[in-house]
Amino acid sequence: MGLRGKLGLIFLLVSALAILVLCVAVYTQAQSARLDRTRSFADERIQLAAQSYDTNDVPVFGAKLDDPDLPPQLRDAVLEGNRATFKTGSPHAKMWAAVAVKDGKILSIEQDYETSDDSMKALQRALLLGGIGTVALVALVSVILAGSLSKRIVAVAGTARRIAAGDLDASAAEAVGKGKDEVQSLATALDTMASSLRGQLEAERRFTADVAHDLRTPVTGLTTAAELLPPGRPSELVRDRAKVLRRLVEDLLEIARFDSGVEQADLELVGLGAFVGSAVGRLRMQQALAPDDVIVHQLGTDETVSTDSRRIERILANLIVNGLRHGKPPVEVTVSGRTVEVVDHGNGYPEELIAEGPRRFRSGMAERGVGHGLGLTIAAGHAKVLGADLTFGAAPGGGALARLVLPAEPETHL
Amino acid sequence: MVEDDAVIREATQLTLERHGYDVTTAEDGLEAIERFEKIQPDVVMLDIMLPGLDGISVCRRIREASTVPIVMVSARGDALDVVLGLEAGADDYVTKPFDTQVLVARLRAVMRRAVSDPERPAPATGSGVESFGDLELDREALEVRRSGQTVQLTPTELKLLIEFANNPGVVLSRSTLLQRVWDYEWGGDGRLVDVHLQRLRTKIGADRIETVRGFGYKLRA
Repeated sequence: MGLRGKLGLIFLLVSALAILVLCVAVYTQAQSARLDRTRSFADERIQLAAQSYDTNDVPVFGAKLDDPDLPPQLRDAVLEGNRATFKTGSPHAKMWAAVAVKDGKILSIEQDYETSDDSMKALQRALLLGGIGTVALVALVSVILAGSLSKRIVAVAGTARRIAAGDLDASAAEAVGKGKDEVQSLATALDTMASSLRGQLEAERRFTADVAHDLRTPVTGLTTAAELLPPGRPSELVRDRAKVLRRLVEDLLEIARFDSGVEQADLELVGLGAFVGSAVGRLRMQQALAPDDVIVHQLGTDETVSTDSRRIERILANLIVNGLRHGKPPVEVTVSGRTVEVVDHGNGYPEELIAEGPRRFRSGMAERGVGHGLGLTIAAGHAKVLGADLTFGAAPGGGALARLVLPAEPETHL
Repeated sequence: MVEDDAVIREATQLTLERHGYDVTTAEDGLEAIERFEKIQPDVVMLDIMLPGLDGISVCRRIREASTVPIVMVSARGDALDVVLGLEAGADDYVTKPFDTQVLVARLRAVMRRAVSDPERPAPATGSGVESFGDLELDREALEVRRSGQTVQLTPTELKLLIEFANNPGVVLSRSTLLQRVWDYEWGGDGRLVDVHLQRLRTKIGADRIETVRGFGYKLRA
């Protein structure tokens, strides 16, 4: 049951209980007032009857002398010279009044006393209707109030989900509207958290960009100078490491460009299957791969897509190189419609990567060997620029599975 | 070669000299312009980030008087630099940190465009003068005239125009043009094509070359 239902029910029960207690109190009070009235009326009558009997020796007002039906408790009470009233039990209640008169006789009056007469019935009806009406009104108002409360909390939850999905500019305080209550303070706290996250992310981005920019000039100098070294094994080692360093800086700069949001897709029509085939061919040449390190499958007919082929090639190369380096060959590339799957035969991606996607400098995967974790981050960055969906998972055989799904064709540019 | 970092300057100079180039260097923009006027080089390699007068201003200044091929050295990660450099008249660019092989290949490609290409035979048809609307292309003299007026094109722009003239009415994609004009076997930046086409259009008439969205460009006869 939702918050709205729960609050509604609680308000309903509490108000019903309160109304019930109130009704019982009012009814009891009314009943006892009526009893007092009847009692004093009977008492007045017996006094008048007693005066009349003293002077005329005739009982009036239906008074009787030594009534045999007189309740014994009343008889005992008046024998001591008192005047008394007594109400006999229900259902046919009667009000008695009696007094001792001359010659040791007892004069008594008896009158009917209905527990509920018309006026009490009217009171009952009024209390019942008023009670039900009030409870219904309370229930309605509480459901409306709880509804607006729960709507605001739902808005906060929605904002939290948007933040989790990466929209760090989402504002919960805006979503819940104005007010100074706990929901507002929850929203404010959430916004503070998001802005602190934003700050951290911003710091991470700035760090990446700064490191990359500051390394650019010395690394360019180093690689250019390394190329000038005389031939020989030591020079080869230096050149190789300088090259690795240059690639790392290039990767960092590429990531910094994604972060700055300046990247745009350069769209062209390509046959996806044919293109993937030729891109894999180029990669084989570049990386000097064995022919059966990478296998390309085409399922169904080759689909023509409007996309940025340079980015597709970059994504593919990074996924394949990652599979070869951290998984096991052969890496199988399957093209089916607008989907490209890259599967290796290693131990699969770490669960953290599958759940959260790639993060820079967090390869942290003992089972997949060391790496700086930039290749997949770059692949994900390019996929985002293409509007494509790049997901990481496990292949049925246990290897790593990366799936790139290109967006459906926008019909605008034909 | 204009480069403010001493190590890069010296190492690149040595590398280029190994590849047979005569290299004159400059440390900043003003020195660059001074040297350029004195020696009139065959190709200019120009860093964008320079103390004082920056590479883009130097490029613009050189373009005022010369169609010499210019290769910009852009800081990778600064997207705007590339576009600004190309708009200022650069023919191509490499990004720092660059691979010396790539740099040499780029320099070769722009210089090949600058000298007449012996591999491409002149078209067999007629006098070698073709016209497209008010535009005349003289393949033998390598001259372009618009309504009789000579239009000054850089080698890259000329090569681009010739590529279109070889395929009148055919849509050429960016990657085709990158391959045929810039000698990129693969890859290359689509903005090279876009910016050069913008510049070519301002010189030969904006509607002479038509954009076919999602496909590329074509020359209108």
